[in-house]
Amino acid sequence: MKRIVSLTVNGVAHEVAVEPRRTLIDLLREDLGLTGTKKGCSIGDCGACTVLMDGVATFSCLTLAIQADGCEIETVEGLAENGQLNRLQQAFVDHGAIQCGFCTPGMLMVTTELLRNNPRPEEEDIRRAISGNLCRCTGYQKIVEAIQHAAKEQI
Amino acid sequence: MILPRFDVLVPQTVPEACAMLAKHADEGVRILAGGTDLLVDLRRPIVAQHVPRCDGCPTHPEGKVVSTIECLPSDSDPLMAPGGSLRAALEDPRHASPAYLVSLHKLKELKGIERLADGKLRVGALTTITEIERSPEVRQNWTALADGAADLGSPLVRNRGTLGGNIANARPAADTAVPTIALDGELTLHGTSGTRTVAAKDFPRGPGLSVIKPDEILTSVHFPSPLPHSDSAYYKLANRKALEISTVGVAVWLALEESNGPVKDVRVALGAVGPTPILAESVREVLEGKVPDEKMIKQAAKAAVGDARPIDDHRGAAWYRVQMVELLTARLLTTVLERIRGK
Repeated sequence: MKRIVSLTVNGVAHEVAVEPRRTLIDLLREDLGLTGTKKGCSIGDCGACTVLMDGVATFSCLTLAIQADGCEIETVEGLAENGQLNRLQQAFVDHGAIQCGFCTPGMLMVTTELLRNNPRPEEEDIRRAISGNLCRCTGYQKIVEAIQHAAKEQI
Repeated sequence: MILPRFDVLVPQTVPEACAMLAKHADEGVRILAGGTDLLVDLRRPIVAQHVPRCDGCPTHPEGKVVSTIECLPSDSDPLMAPGGSLRAALEDPRHASPAYLVSLHKLKELKGIERLADGKLRVGALTTITEIERSPEVRQNWTALADGAADLGSPLVRNRGTLGGNIANARPAADTAVPTIALDGELTLHGTSGTRTVAAKDFPRGPGLSVIKPDEILTSVHFPSPLPHSDSAYYKLANRKALEISTVGVAVWLALEESNGPVKDVRVALGAVGPTPILAESVREVLEGKVPDEKMIKQAAKAAVGDARPIDDHRGAAWYRVQMVELLTARLLTTVLERIRGK
């Protein structure tokens, strides 16, 4: 039997009827049409599905929609400000930190969490923060540089 | 991949959760905490592609794929023997395909780290690994646990994974279970017929198997008040820094009578070198009451090897694990000893 889940996504309140086994990522992508969040491995290895749940970077593929009831969700669609890429997104573009782009939403969300908790991260902090997110294109170096640049700019 | 069909029950209290577990035991019911293990386990077809088989397990005559059940130590333990209750629990198809999940996410009272009036530390079972990793209190006084938390999985796993889940899963390499045993953690289990406590070292019984009863929930872990002249550390030996399961994990807790004095007590716990995390009791026999020196530490590390029961598998050969137990035990004892003497 379906259940009603109430949650806020990027500041907009939603009530969605879901099967108990529905994952948060399927709610976001299929019920709300927010396909920015990517589904990679489905077992917590790749980090592509990362969203912020009450401010905490969370695997949306290993979270049931029911568990997100009453929570505030932030996805990559919520990052842009007034229709413009935010500083972090722009830094990813400027530094070549995006190639195929599949890991990018997850990378942006874990980095958003990092920079909120630690506005001046050392390189080591950055590498550790993205250590649960796989990127098969960039070799990570350009992602690290983009994050360093965004962190410098925000101060 | 879509998850198999199940219903999700959301209890508002611990007794309600226990009642749900008891009520649905016959249909198959599992506890959902952080979900970083359970929701992976329920996706068997994906997991089967990823998880390297335990092909080196010595018990299998042809060296082919064996299940963890076949790696269990001994049929002489009645609970583990064919038909024994622990073994039956793991072989039960309702375990792999439960009809119900009891999700604990509304039980806020199971979250949080609290220093009690008697000096003990209470960690609620739903406290995330990240919260433990970042707790200054844990880092200061229960350092081995902070070390283990910082080494577990990846930041995303730590954000969702919980201490209770990591311990209750009863995996031999669990990065917070090994330090919890070294730090003499005490687990509180709530069931329909009441509450009981179990020493962390007595909780696991085999890979994925523990003394927990079907209607019980692990609700909190208590750590003893830190002794003067004591310290602890955990080291995870693994092939990479994140998203890895240890080849060997060693946790050491050491207390001296005075800063240059004899050993008051010592506990060394070993991970990934047996069907459960192991408390290496022989180390205490070597060191207790003596003023430790380099030679004695080497002797203690050799004693720890005697308590390990490693197998060959894809993460490491038994002979290598044995060497690493010896090396890491000696190294950690030295580190912890220096820290205590330097305080």
